[in-house]
Amino acid sequence: MDRNITSVVSRLLSLGVAALAIALVAAASPIVVSGQLLAYQDGYVFFSTGDGFHVAPNVVIHDAKTGGATTIVPGPRIWARATFDASGTVTELDLSRRPLPPEGNFDDVARFAVALSTPAPNPDLLPQTPAPGQTLAPEFRHFSGKPVLVTFVAEVPPNTPFTAAVYITTDASGWNAQAIPMDRIDTLHFQITRRINSGTIFRYLYDRGSFQSVEVAENGLQRAPREVIVADADVRAVRDTVYAWIDSTNGGYNQSPTGLPTPYNPAPFPNLPPGVGPPGVATPCAHPPRCPPQ
Amino acid sequence: MRRPLLLTAVFCALVTLGTHRVLAQAAAPAATPTPGPAPALVRLTADHMEFYYDQFLIEADGHVRVEASDGLVATGDAFSMDLKLNRYLLAGHVTLTTTSGTVHGAAIADFLDFSRIYFVPVTTEPDRWTFLNGDLQHPAKGRIMPGDAFSFPQVGPQPSLTASSAVVGTRDYVRFSGATGNLGGLPIPLGSYVVNFSSNQYFAQNSLTGANFDTTWNFAGGPNALSALHFRYDTVNYFYLAFEQHLVGDHEYAIFSVNPISRAGKFYNFQLYDRLGSRFQIQDFTQLYVYQYNLSAPQAATQTSYINATYALPHSYLTAASNLTNYNILGINPLLQQTFFPNSVKVGAGNLSHPSYLQIGWSSFQNRIGGSGSPFYEQIYGAYGFNHDSVGANQYLQGCTVPKCGLGGIYALPLQVPGLQAYGAACNYKFQPKPPIYFCPVYTTIYDQVLGFTLFATSIKLGDQDNPYKTFFLNASLNEQEQWNSLPHRIRQTIAQASLSRQFARQVNSYLSYAIQNTGDYYLRGGYTTCSPTINGQPNPACPPGLDSFRGVATWHTLSLGVNYVPSPEFNFSILARHHADFPPPVPNLYAQPPLNVLGQPLYATYLGQPPNDLSGDVRFKLLPHMMVDVSRTYFFHYGNLTWSPQTVIQVLPI
Repeated sequence: MDRNITSVVSRLLSLGVAALAIALVAAASPIVVSGQLLAYQDGYVFFSTGDGFHVAPNVVIHDAKTGGATTIVPGPRIWARATFDASGTVTELDLSRRPLPPEGNFDDVARFAVALSTPAPNPDLLPQTPAPGQTLAPEFRHFSGKPVLVTFVAEVPPNTPFTAAVYITTDASGWNAQAIPMDRIDTLHFQITRRINSGTIFRYLYDRGSFQSVEVAENGLQRAPREVIVADADVRAVRDTVYAWIDSTNGGYNQSPTGLPTPYNPAPFPNLPPGVGPPGVATPCAHPPRCPPQ
Repeated sequence: MRRPLLLTAVFCALVTLGTHRVLAQAAAPAATPTPGPAPALVRLTADHMEFYYDQFLIEADGHVRVEASDGLVATGDAFSMDLKLNRYLLAGHVTLTTTSGTVHGAAIADFLDFSRIYFVPVTTEPDRWTFLNGDLQHPAKGRIMPGDAFSFPQVGPQPSLTASSAVVGTRDYVRFSGATGNLGGLPIPLGSYVVNFSSNQYFAQNSLTGANFDTTWNFAGGPNALSALHFRYDTVNYFYLAFEQHLVGDHEYAIFSVNPISRAGKFYNFQLYDRLGSRFQIQDFTQLYVYQYNLSAPQAATQTSYINATYALPHSYLTAASNLTNYNILGINPLLQQTFFPNSVKVGAGNLSHPSYLQIGWSSFQNRIGGSGSPFYEQIYGAYGFNHDSVGANQYLQGCTVPKCGLGGIYALPLQVPGLQAYGAACNYKFQPKPPIYFCPVYTTIYDQVLGFTLFATSIKLGDQDNPYKTFFLNASLNEQEQWNSLPHRIRQTIAQASLSRQFARQVNSYLSYAIQNTGDYYLRGGYTTCSPTINGQPNPACPPGLDSFRGVATWHTLSLGVNYVPSPEFNFSILARHHADFPPPVPNLYAQPPLNVLGQPLYATYLGQPPNDLSGDVRFKLLPHMMVDVSRTYFFHYGNLTWSPQTVIQVLPI
């Protein structure tokens, strides 16, 4: 009798342990990750990591928001929350056209990704080897894409009018001549700070509001755009010298697309009142209404 | 398949870089970047295609077909191309066709700048192949791929345009077909539309004048050309059309424009530029003004051409500048027509004047005075010029007809007499009936010589040089220039200025500046005419004290205090206070105020009659993710009837 009771208790305990173990295993086995789909074809679902996973034949497809049926078809650009079983097969996909909150980690399911070939290192992604005798590559720069505060300081030619506005024109804004206005910080310098993403190759020129007043090189020729490669840093200062503006060089001209030119007009005081001025100026009569015709 | 976490983060971040060209090899510590392979062509068709201007992204879906000039032909379900990163992604039921056959797969990504194609084939099972350097026959299998090679970018809510097909000239342009623009939600059928994003700045050269509003339809183009129709508005012509054609090379460009097409007064502009070798360039700007209805016979036509050449020397450069203007290239007939049938023409036919000039100039580089580290520099320059007009009209310094003379204080209507400049006493009447008065002798040819130098000192540190927020910077410059004309007449100008500046904090900098400009306009004989302070014993309001003693030498003294407050790149506030002490002293409403440019700023930097005090404020702030607004205005402290500058200048700036 006691033996029977002991046996029953033992069996019940065994069953309980087994049930608990099954429950624990069952609770731990599903792995859920969310991400954007790359493709859904040939019995695989591909995420934008490039990894492809087996899809169960009876995969359940739901709407990620409602949990119910969905008309969304899995495919490129669709966001999905994937449920993996213990064998790494996707058993459920919850779909959305909008980004889903990050869930899980693709590193946890990377072992389930199917690939015929053995992973091989990519030399393109390895750091460069320092030159012999150097402990650190001299041009070591890193580009993470994060915004960097870049301050441009331009020294302008001394003949730049005090009231002139100076701008930066850049390929990032289609060479708009008034894209980035600068602030005068003293008689000879202008400055501006911009947030530029690390990794950007920023091509630019200085100008005074148009390409008819753009900077030229020190030798008087039109210059190629300046270039700054923005690497990772908290802040960066770029100091440039503008040697001359194209319309203020010797022989330079300020071509006017619609105004007829005044080829010879050496007037230093263009707005003098009547009756005052260089020899050759007509003297107005004192009482214009009563002036006789000349 | 594990990816290095750092590299994944790096590449994921790069995906979000927006509109700037970036380094796609960013994961690896990079040396100075080297140019990528030659630009390629990518032809794209799809059921639906979108373009996002602010991100330079092309997104396409449904029966996508990609043909690249490297021989790759692929089809798939979805396509995404970042024009600035110069790479594209095709995903979903991908079929890759090469000369060796067809392979099916899930996705393919082509990093054009690096000659790397990353492919996820699905044969018996998925795999990872990398095609190197355009070799589509021998993939490197199993290579770890960049973490973001197959990422679709997040796009904005509204595309800038939709299309059915596109040709992408990588790194230069994309030409859409079947395009429909999106103007604030309003669909605008465009047909063909070209987006140019070339790094060649010659595409930015333009020959159109400013306008209050301009929207551009680039309807054709390629790596070296761009054809555009402009829809414009300005306060003179109102709404009108203009056309512009760019032809651009690595060392040359040619630009042609007609503006406005839809008005009788048309400007045909031609700009040419060529760099010959590393030391020589030549450029031309020619303008033809024609008054014609549509393409009918013109009633007036004027032409002007500038030709400039520059030759770079080891430490200086030579320039040759020339101009030829013909005020009437239609001949005498339109003049006769205008004379005898004045009501039959809408516009003056011009005159037969054709002035010209040629100037040879030389300029040194900015040379450091003293040894390395010296803050002092000098530059010298000179020029010799020739000016000629045998016919002459509307010359400088000729009298003006009464009663129009003096309107607004400007020489309103110079007389039409031969030559370039009149000088001296009144001529005897030469014509009958009695003509307006003019002065003799009249010069048809005037030579001039210019000599000048500049001395300047830049960023001399003063004060506590160990603390950047307690360091003062002294900048100063002196420019002296003299121009001798064969009239005989000379103009001498001296400009001296100095400033003391300091960065008080990261957000605040300030400067105090003082400038003196002295300009003398000297005639060997005669000198300046002066006004009389009294008329019939009464004070002459047109000749206040100071002006009556003006003999052609003016002096401007300007004291300026500027403060910039820049808490972040997205917000900026600047204020500039100035005090002027000038001779002749300013008198409200006596001197004409200078005309304003299209930005609302005075055309002259210094001018007689400028208000003695002014305070300018400028605020710049970010309005939208890709747009900043700049608002500025000047206060004149009730100078006469002038309280504020004529207009608030508002500029919309892309970022």
